[in-house]
Amino acid sequence: MAVKSIVTYPDPILKAVCSPVVTVDRNVLQLIEDLVDTMHAGPGSVGVAAPQIGVALRACVIDVSKNRHGKDNNHGLLRMINPEIVERSGSAVMREGCMSVPDYTGDVERATDLTLRFTEPDGAVREFAASGFEAVAIQHEMDHLDGLLFLDRISSLKTGLFRRKSYK
Amino acid sequence: MNVCRKPNLAHFAVTVIGKDRTGIVADTSEVLYKLGCNVEDSSCTMLGGEFAMILIVSHEKPFSKKKLETEFAEKNADNGLSAFIRTLKDDEICYREPVGELCLISVYGSDKPGIVYRITRELADRGVSIMDLNTKLIGTVADPVYVLVLEATLPQGLSVEEASGLLDKLKKELSVEISVRLITPVSL
Repeated sequence: MAVKSIVTYPDPILKAVCSPVVTVDRNVLQLIEDLVDTMHAGPGSVGVAAPQIGVALRACVIDVSKNRHGKDNNHGLLRMINPEIVERSGSAVMREGCMSVPDYTGDVERATDLTLRFTEPDGAVREFAASGFEAVAIQHEMDHLDGLLFLDRISSLKTGLFRRKSYK
Repeated sequence: MNVCRKPNLAHFAVTVIGKDRTGIVADTSEVLYKLGCNVEDSSCTMLGGEFAMILIVSHEKPFSKKKLETEFAEKNADNGLSAFIRTLKDDEICYREPVGELCLISVYGSDKPGIVYRITRELADRGVSIMDLNTKLIGTVADPVYVLVLEATLPQGLSVEEASGLLDKLKKELSVEISVRLITPVSL
């Protein structure tokens, strides 16, 4: 068991495109368990991606089952290696925060329905559909694997609520 | 969140407002940059045909408000902007943001006096803390419509449903639509 400290911006690893995992070896399995431990240690955390604990590999863990937005619609603890989004549809806006960008939140538009493919720690390739908050969490964590933070996706300023009048 | 700024910094609230044109932010931040001030927090927006800036700025002590006032007076002598500067005390700099569920309340309906007052008085009396608020007069000259959107932190023990319930009577009284929804950020 190893709870790792969360890397915060401006650490450059958070803007790096992570490398695919080539072999699921002992180190990768340890990485996955560290991600799970770190997620469980973070209050209210529903996911952690490898670069957030300083490893530039395409792996992340997600568990929205204890969150009020996800408790009725989830797949429990997901340990995802080389995850890919096969299909996406729908859209919804949620105000997101991120452990790697403390003290700031922003509205982000995400797909509400996903079809995903990823490798399990036992090497099996799994394909499944996720929706709702679980889908949001998956997209947020997968963005980390491409060096994207929610700040790259903020969909509007609060003042953007109003269409501006023309004073011309 | 608890924020306590460094004790070696002097803090000021700076408000700048003037008829909108390009370059207001650049002109204002130029004054601050040249004085060596940091813009720690700011919100700037168009209000009517005006552009309004509110900034919390800091500078290493010793630094006087006079210096800011002099520089802004010189810069704004012929550009139509007015600047107002206030020195912030320690208890304004070290603050604690309200904790609790965050909700978004939207209110809209035919324009009439008292919409902002009645809604915000009701919220204040229940300990609801407004974090952000925007209003706009939309619609036509013949049929003006007032829109108020605010974000507020609910006190411990007050649910979104209860917050919504306590605004219900104003809905009828003011003949406006009111919706309350939870927007507490999700930590990912």
